[in-house]
Amino acid sequence: MANFAGWEMPIQYKGIIAEHKSVRENAGIFDVSHMGQIFVRGRQTIDFLSYVTTWDMNRQKENDCRYCHILNHEGKIIDDVIVYTLSSEEYMVVPNASMISTIFPWLLENSAKFDVKIEDFSNEFFCLALQGPDTPRLLGQHQNTSVSPFTSVRDGDTIISGTGYTGELGCEIIGPYSEAAFHWESLIDMGAEPVGLGARDTLRLEKGFLLSGQDFDGTQTSMETGYSWVIDWNHDFIGKEALLSEKSESSPKLCGIILEDRGVIRPGFRVYYKGKPISSLTSGSLSPSLKKGIGLAYLDIPLNSNVTVDVRGNHLNGRVVRLPFL
Amino acid sequence: MSEVPDNLSYTKGHEWVFVQEDGKIKVGITDHAQDSLSDVVFVELPEVGDQFSKDEAMAVAESVKAASDIYAPISGKITAINEKLEESPELVNESPYEFGWMVVMKPHGEIKGLLDAESYRDSID
Repeated sequence: MANFAGWEMPIQYKGIIAEHKSVRENAGIFDVSHMGQIFVRGRQTIDFLSYVTTWDMNRQKENDCRYCHILNHEGKIIDDVIVYTLSSEEYMVVPNASMISTIFPWLLENSAKFDVKIEDFSNEFFCLALQGPDTPRLLGQHQNTSVSPFTSVRDGDTIISGTGYTGELGCEIIGPYSEAAFHWESLIDMGAEPVGLGARDTLRLEKGFLLSGQDFDGTQTSMETGYSWVIDWNHDFIGKEALLSEKSESSPKLCGIILEDRGVIRPGFRVYYKGKPISSLTSGSLSPSLKKGIGLAYLDIPLNSNVTVDVRGNHLNGRVVRLPFL
Repeated sequence: MSEVPDNLSYTKGHEWVFVQEDGKIKVGITDHAQDSLSDVVFVELPEVGDQFSKDEAMAVAESVKAASDIYAPISGKITAINEKLEESPELVNESPYEFGWMVVMKPHGEIKGLLDAESYRDSID
């Protein structure tokens, strides 16, 4: 075992499986300060954000949070974001860390016709995600507040939203960096387990949540990812025309594959159907909850089809399933 | 601090080797290795009768995050595998030097080129 390839940074604290379980059963806390925070302010904020995302922000009420996609002119996903309505003239957009340097200039570039001011505060704000069924108790104890799913509450510079990436009840706390340690330590003292990036991936994969740059990479539409519900067709937005022109064409869609044989499947492994390679996994891991290998791949074969996944030359049996896995 | 029993030999690749009375060797991964790998969720073992040259990949230990090859510490033939690992791969974490053993090999020729406990301890410090 000379080469421990695949170990990256502190992916875990106690262990991925124990951390995964903490989130599903109690509560875990993630430091996700790498996520972006881009503020959009001004008279035409709603019009602008409706134009650059798949959602009509006129439908947002104050304090609503909305998961949607930012598309390019070809209708392909650049990134998936959460848009926070802080007030009618102040919104916050949360892109993925690796996409801040793409999304920020993209917003600036497309804002010429709108009376808005766009500022990137990603380097000034922390983000902690508190996730799991114990979240309401912990948040109440910690901050004396509560938050409903997909809404936010604001307390001075701190924004708390009912959002996350685990499929559990939870919240994300965003605020100035100087306060990060206080929130982290206090929530851990109250019983939240620290969780690393490893369990973050298994938790989101069980729920079929997309990983930016991996499950979409700039060449897929929202429909292909299975997220057509993020599009409000009753408004104009970048990418709409391109999507309408190819709306009827069928194309592979992101599906789940669950292994029936023992084994772990990983991104890039080839998927075979009737003996022929038809796709590669975009995501793959072992599901700690199901104790089975699970993965995602773009496929245009029926649900429940039997497939095999090539794991170092061995073909392991699997089945195409509807998402989420859990 | 990882456990490194004095009665075993080691490789730089974090395998341990126990020379049995019958001259065969039992092989597993060290406490340090299992700790670094974290939760082992799957172990792919060779078949009895398979032959390997020294440093050839003979098994794979998979954690949630990564797959790690396990190399033959010497050239030889597999005479037994730990079938319990199929149902309970976590034995590699819980008991790396006892219940988590992986294979028994019959060496082709002399057993050499391994580290003693002290040298292995130095290599992981």
